Amino acid sequence: MHILKIEHLTVSVNDKLILNDFSLEIKSGEIHAIMGPNGTGKSTLSKVIMGDPTYKIINGSIYYDDVLLNDLTTDERARLGIFLGMQMPLELEGVTNADFLRTALHIKEGTNFKLFNFIKKLDNTIEKLHMHKDIVHRVVNKDFSGGERKKNEILQMYLLEPNMVILDEIDSGLDVDSLKIVGDTVMEYYHQEKLGILLITHYQRLLDYIKPDFVHIMINGKIVKSGDSSLVSKIEESGYNQLINENN
Amino acid sequence: MNKIKIVNDLIDNLKLDDSIEVTFQEKNEITYVNGIKIKVIEDTNLEIEYIANKETKMNIQIEVLKKVKLHLLEYRHGSKVKIQYKYDLGEDSLVVINKFSQNNGVKELDIVNLNGRGATFNYKFKTIANKQEQYDLMIYHNDSYTTSNILNHGLNDQEGSIIINITSMIPENKIGCVANQNNRIINLSDNKCEINPNLLIEENDVEANHSAHIGRFSNDEMFYLQSRGFPKEVALKLLIKGFLLSELDINDEQKSLLTHSIDSYWR
Repeated sequence: MHILKIEHLTVSVNDKLILNDFSLEIKSGEIHAIMGPNGTGKSTLSKVIMGDPTYKIINGSIYYDDVLLNDLTTDERARLGIFLGMQMPLELEGVTNADFLRTALHIKEGTNFKLFNFIKKLDNTIEKLHMHKDIVHRVVNKDFSGGERKKNEILQMYLLEPNMVILDEIDSGLDVDSLKIVGDTVMEYYHQEKLGILLITHYQRLLDYIKPDFVHIMINGKIVKSGDSSLVSKIEESGYNQLINENN
Repeated sequence: MNKIKIVNDLIDNLKLDDSIEVTFQEKNEITYVNGIKIKVIEDTNLEIEYIANKETKMNIQIEVLKKVKLHLLEYRHGSKVKIQYKYDLGEDSLVVINKFSQNNGVKELDIVNLNGRGATFNYKFKTIANKQEQYDLMIYHNDSYTTSNILNHGLNDQEGSIIINITSMIPENKIGCVANQNNRIINLSDNKCEINPNLLIEENDVEANHSAHIGRFSNDEMFYLQSRGFPKEVALKLLIKGFLLSELDINDEQKSLLTHSIDSYWR
């Protein structure tokens, strides 16, 4: 059992407050979805959990199990088993997917790394995600379509086997078929590992495949309303503003 | 594959077929520097390994005849070199160069003469600089419909400082020419680097582009790699290797040679 605990987190960038007294707890086996309008701090939250040095924590704490993450580097957090599937995965000039994944696995597994197992798992996951086999030899995210970039994030997740996953708008750029493939693959991994998942999304359509246990509405850097998955339909029907006004 | 091995300012080993003629020109009262003249007669591939065991001066002249294609890989390493390259390209010839340098200081002059109509010069150069390196490239489009695509990528480290002066010239009445320059330096030190790109064009019917960038790897790239568990040093090394090996048109064996060289530098 793993617990990601965010307590009274206040974060700024360039003196602008992005997260304001934000609190949330995610346990293994739970799927949380955070929804909210643009510019409300959702992506910032994901990067702050992962330790992006761009953002400054003014107050509050992030714990993973009993480990305080605030002062850990990004790679130390990743090696604890936290994975961030990014909204806009970057191109890494000249670095092939094969080199990238093999090196990442080497770091994670050390002397236990087995090349044959790596190749076998890579092939299986590529097939599962309906990706082209040449993706392995291509430069990470170079000339990838929006859908390929997102699938590549899920490919990395599958191979790195994290125990706490944050997916930041993993649905953007995906067509209907790819969305189903990504959603089903994430759920397969969820059932296999019983891990905690934090989804950040704008749209209900992703939640048709990845069913959240908890849904939170985030406005101006904090959660203003939480509920179960029925909250998603209410957001679709009424929009954020009406729900917030009702709440007030 | 034709191969020439140069050690200091002498030819150490030659393995050539009939497509290439090589002449050694000993220094004299006029040149003061040993030289090698390479004449390419038929379509071919050539690999030059240039090892400098001591501070060395050298001239290399490459002439490519009409309608001939040359694919050249040059791998240069060792001590400081002062070197001049002169390329003369005939009508409808094609020269593709992939060049990698890892020397303790470089002063280099490259003169490219696109003498024949339709000649094309595609040049990709990578260097790791830990001492002062200066590159002066002059590309003369001496006839119509000639093309030059120049890529210079340098990684500046330790006591390094890279200066790239590059000038492409297209005179009046030489129509349909293409001149592209792509220059980039990743500066890992606090030393000053310079890129001075020039396009001297006297004709309207041309296509010309240049880009110049000096900087570091972005924080976003580092964050992306670290978020996958790469420690900072490993992430940096992966980005360096990617930067130095990207864009090069080389086979697996050549890639392995350059990878080994890069790995040895950062060991």
